[in-house]
Amino acid sequence: MEPTCTAIPTTDRRAVIEGALRAVGGRIAPVWPLERFVAVNPYMGLADRSFADAAELLARVAGASATLPAVFYLAAIDEGRITADDLTDALAAQHQVAATGVTEFLELARVLGSTSGPAAPRIPTVASVATACSGNDWQRFCTDRVSAWASAYFDTGQALWASADADLPLFAAWKEEASLDRTPEVMGLAGFRSVVRSLPDDPIAAAELALRVLDVPSEALEAYLHALALRVGGWAAYTARIGFERQLNHQDDDTLVQFLAVLLAWELAMFRTLERHSQADAWHGACGLLAQSAERPEVGETLATLLVLQDAFDRAEQRRIIAQFANGRIVTAHDAKQDPRRPSAQAVFCIDVRSEVFRRHLESVADDIDTVGFAGFFGFPIDYVPIAHAEGEAQCPVLLTPTFTVIETIPDPARALEAVEDRRLSHQVRRAWKSFKMGAISCFSFVGPVGLLYLPKMFTDTYGKTRPATRAEDEGLAAWAIDAKTPSIAISLEAQVQLAEGALRGMSLTNGFASIVLIVGHGANTVNNPYNAGLDCGACGGHTGEANARVAAAILNDPAVRDGLADRGILLPHDTWFVAALHDTTTDTITMFDRSSVPPTHTQSVVQLQVQLGEASRRCRSERAPRLGVRAGSAVDAAIIRRSTDWAQVRPEWGLAGCRAFIAAPREHTRDLDLAGRAFLHSYDWRQDLEFDVLELIMTAPVVVASWINLQYYASTVENRLFGSGNKTLHNVVGKSGILEGNGGDLRVGLPWQSLHDGTMLQHEPLRLNVVIRAPRDAINNVLATHRHVRDLFDNGWIHLLAMDDGGSITHRYTGALQWSRIGPI
Amino acid sequence: MTSVLAMGVLVAPAAFGVVAFGKLGSREASVQRVKRMGVVASWVGVLVAIVAAGTTSLHGLSESPTLGGNGLGVSVRLDALSTVMFLMITLLAVVIFRFSCTYLDGDERQSVFLGRLAATIAAVEVLVLSGNLAVLVGAWVATSLALHELLVFYRDRPRAVIAARKKFIAARTGDALLIAAAVLLYRQYDTGNLEKIFGGIRDTAKAGWSLNAVGVAALCLAFAALLKSAQFPTHGWLVEVMETPTPVSALLHAGVLNAGPFLALRMAFVLNDAHLASSVLIVAGGFTALFASVVLLTQPSVKVALGYSSAAHMGFMLMICGIGVFPAALLHLVAHSFYKAHAFLSSGSVIDDARADKVAIPLRLGSARRVTASLVVALGLYLVLAAAWRANITDDPVVVLIGAILVLGTTQLVAPALDSTGGRRGTGRTALLALAVTTSFFTLESGAHHVLASTVPEIGTRTGLELALFATVVAVFATVVILQIFEPARTKSRRRRALAIHLRNGLYANALYDRVVGALRLPTPRAERV
Repeated sequence: MEPTCTAIPTTDRRAVIEGALRAVGGRIAPVWPLERFVAVNPYMGLADRSFADAAELLARVAGASATLPAVFYLAAIDEGRITADDLTDALAAQHQVAATGVTEFLELARVLGSTSGPAAPRIPTVASVATACSGNDWQRFCTDRVSAWASAYFDTGQALWASADADLPLFAAWKEEASLDRTPEVMGLAGFRSVVRSLPDDPIAAAELALRVLDVPSEALEAYLHALALRVGGWAAYTARIGFERQLNHQDDDTLVQFLAVLLAWELAMFRTLERHSQADAWHGACGLLAQSAERPEVGETLATLLVLQDAFDRAEQRRIIAQFANGRIVTAHDAKQDPRRPSAQAVFCIDVRSEVFRRHLESVADDIDTVGFAGFFGFPIDYVPIAHAEGEAQCPVLLTPTFTVIETIPDPARALEAVEDRRLSHQVRRAWKSFKMGAISCFSFVGPVGLLYLPKMFTDTYGKTRPATRAEDEGLAAWAIDAKTPSIAISLEAQVQLAEGALRGMSLTNGFASIVLIVGHGANTVNNPYNAGLDCGACGGHTGEANARVAAAILNDPAVRDGLADRGILLPHDTWFVAALHDTTTDTITMFDRSSVPPTHTQSVVQLQVQLGEASRRCRSERAPRLGVRAGSAVDAAIIRRSTDWAQVRPEWGLAGCRAFIAAPREHTRDLDLAGRAFLHSYDWRQDLEFDVLELIMTAPVVVASWINLQYYASTVENRLFGSGNKTLHNVVGKSGILEGNGGDLRVGLPWQSLHDGTMLQHEPLRLNVVIRAPRDAINNVLATHRHVRDLFDNGWIHLLAMDDGGSITHRYTGALQWSRIGPI
Repeated sequence: MTSVLAMGVLVAPAAFGVVAFGKLGSREASVQRVKRMGVVASWVGVLVAIVAAGTTSLHGLSESPTLGGNGLGVSVRLDALSTVMFLMITLLAVVIFRFSCTYLDGDERQSVFLGRLAATIAAVEVLVLSGNLAVLVGAWVATSLALHELLVFYRDRPRAVIAARKKFIAARTGDALLIAAAVLLYRQYDTGNLEKIFGGIRDTAKAGWSLNAVGVAALCLAFAALLKSAQFPTHGWLVEVMETPTPVSALLHAGVLNAGPFLALRMAFVLNDAHLASSVLIVAGGFTALFASVVLLTQPSVKVALGYSSAAHMGFMLMICGIGVFPAALLHLVAHSFYKAHAFLSSGSVIDDARADKVAIPLRLGSARRVTASLVVALGLYLVLAAAWRANITDDPVVVLIGAILVLGTTQLVAPALDSTGGRRGTGRTALLALAVTTSFFTLESGAHHVLASTVPEIGTRTGLELALFATVVAVFATVVILQIFEPARTKSRRRRALAIHLRNGLYANALYDRVVGALRLPTPRAERV
């Protein structure tokens, strides 16, 4: 059929195109720079569609898989992990697969076997048509060139001589470079620069021109633009992050729209080449197919079959989680209020799945210690400015903006000044040294006299005696300054009281305080690992939780704040002392801070607590050892600590791999369960939550963040090419902020394969998160009804929702549209 | 001295050879065995190299008998050059092999990778130990072929295949040139034994400007070295081979790429008086040194920047060989190897640097007076230390020029602090560092001269043309350094950005190479219609 060229007036056309560009931009999930790499749901912009529809769309526009190949699930069926009942339920829940029974369905699935690998995207671009016509991979070339330019434009400090004007808007900067760069012409795209020069300066006008020449059928416009964006999806995600952050500050942003205009300009240039070779018809023919494919998007039988298998896999896991709670002890849901026993200490951990292991072992070491789970920024969204730094960094979930600034300093003003000056000096010298070492010509004077020093350095790094680069937190500071530095809080008392109240109510910890309350942030401790921030605390925006924990403890220990809290109904006993600590998730060691300010009455208890924490650390390491491939035995501790300092180690820890459940309930329901480091645990007691404000907060913030993490792992596992970052051994850090795999190609997003797979088996199996909440279902429904984006996650099958009754059993499954079904006996 | 014992050093490459062919049995068993054997082989290598270096430093040159006939065959040559290179390779091998054992854990072809790594290391070890043209040529080709297998370890990556193809073309051309040189030398001296050839050249033939057999052989050697070391315009493959795991880059940049300068050093007696070949090395090496070290400034990705850096350093070494300061070239070679291996293996740490680099530092002034003062400081340190060392730095113009390059570098070190709004402490610290660098320069240069004393020719008298070429190169270097020192204080202009764009694209030399080799061609015949 002929492509349709609808005659719309120019101004309307412009609005239509801008609307389409923005709509497609909204489908691209952001990616954060490596130094504050946090998890993000790669399907973020598609959550308003069902999982199946999104899977179909991504297969069509990008050839993306939404599940693993069928063999994976067939093996799970053969091993008995997926039962016939799971399959029956999964089949009953859908209508695309026509199979009448499990046997018939399995025959269908076995035919698929392993053949269901990634397919080529069905939506063509001019570059893909040109590739097919010429036998030259123009698609790869376009991606490489856009990526090469974006690498320079978004460079945050690798190149000493910046070749792109980062102050220009994206499209203008690209146009300036593309009208100079000879590479396309050298490679055979004659007249490329003149095509670029003939483009309007306005990105929308340029996009409009390109689309007019390409004559893309209007009904297929969005699908085409989406396909185009995902051909360079990594850099698209990078620009999406700029928009995401500006929108958080209520600013408009069109960086991603400009980026799409760049891609359209490339398409136009490719089309001119096709014209020159009299192959323009090939594109027009492809446009016909484009229009057809946009007409009737439907989930094909192959995809539908895979989705049923995935659903059955999810159901099987859900069944096990439900059973774990049912088979547990008979819960005597004791109320903290009625419990006569006062715990010797309480320890607040991040909801992170890695905390579950530690909490379990700490409680087993000392059963008079209670643990609490809460988002690891502890309700204190800070902008943290390290000593002598020019700007602060947001240490809070990326969904929030920091509400106040905390400056790292040293209590003694004279020494603080000294530390600032020392650090400035050290950095000035460091930069001078770098300009000598990496400078043109001067690098020759560097190597001869200095290069031999790298021989001992190479060996000390190899044997973990030194780090290849100093920890950023310590760089340029003397040992005394590293020990003495502490966050200084400068906000009004009223604001402090408000934050403190919010934090305590948020963790359902408003009474029954122990004499020591440990606030434990977490961070990873790896070397030579560009992804270290990804292993740090996501709730602290890809930083360690140290500063947040110390700020929280300092505020909660302040007598004036406690007076304010008392006015608001939270009575903190005089003998309660908050101690900040950091859980190193790589080695499972815990460091306590500000020990010197602990009152003498508490020192004995703190010492005892430290011993208990040490024992818990050892038990944690023993539990994690097999998963890390460390042989059990007396040398486990040393081996795990050695791994954390090994510069060759690509799997220093497993991060959040394996995450599959989120449980918001009082700890007593999970306390005796081994959740294997795979569950987010949020302490929540609905009976203390009169207006269900805390429930609303949990469902709109921690649950959403956990879904981001879970879906990032999911997508990186099933579609690593598009949503993961490939092979870590090939990683090449670009612009000091992103990853290329090898020497070119698109920016990589998501997780490397080594963070998902241990070489023998997947350490993260594709499972959609099971959110378990102990609260009345009506209250949960109320939150869902008011928050469309949260409801979409459950209604559209991105994650699952289960309700727990007051006895601690999981009794109901959310089935969408605010409906619940009772779970039968298992 | 001829000694059968010299043959014993071949235990080291042999051990790696066993590793290369040791991957038998099930995957798991094979990986564990290859790892164990490789670690043993790498430490055996270090021990053997230490013994060889010790023996050589006590007894001087020793050669093994030749296994073969007609003056061609396998023989080992132990002298200062070969033992230094050998020790360097074995130390690198320990680190790189160990790194790979962990880094590639979980890759289903890890034992294949380790095997290929071992094979490459073995080939390089034989290359540096070779005492006969036959084994030199054989090891030279074997190194390249073994490396090729590492470069295409992930054969399904099109960019890996293209980079390897470009390298393959350059390498085979280089092989042909080396073989041609070997044939010419063999026919001239009727032996493949290096010592006899060197002796022959010392005693009789001076190539001078003439294109006699030695002159042509020297020219072939020069071009073979340039091709081996990715000199402009064939550098493209080098900046693209990060398509294979990081330890390969470390080995390539630290142990294989410098086969070019090594060849120039090994055949120093052939090259030294061949003015045409020397001039070629000065011009081509000098240009690449300049080109690549400037292009490096514009690169946004860490591994590509390191690739350009290596091309630049190779160019610098080849240029230094061209001008005949062989000990300085060897020092640079060894120092660069350790520096670059470390730089690649630690390339994941740049994010640590990025996170630390947020400290506001004093601003640059761009004051000509202060930059001149930096130059005075750097030069002063150089002169004072030269006096302390009683080094003769003025008699030989080549030494003057080499000193000038050092002073340019130390000026670049002092200027960012001296020419800034910061206080004296910054200037003091950078000046102290410049002092340390200059001290190290004199110590190590004199050390290198001492070590290599009998192994390479003395700095002879250079022809006027060679000196003029070298002086021109150094003058251009000086201009670039001065522009670079002022750069951070200058306002950004469109013209300089345009220049930076062309430079970032390596002046399109690599794109042209891509076009010629059909880099975009799909591996399969015409893809089906979309």
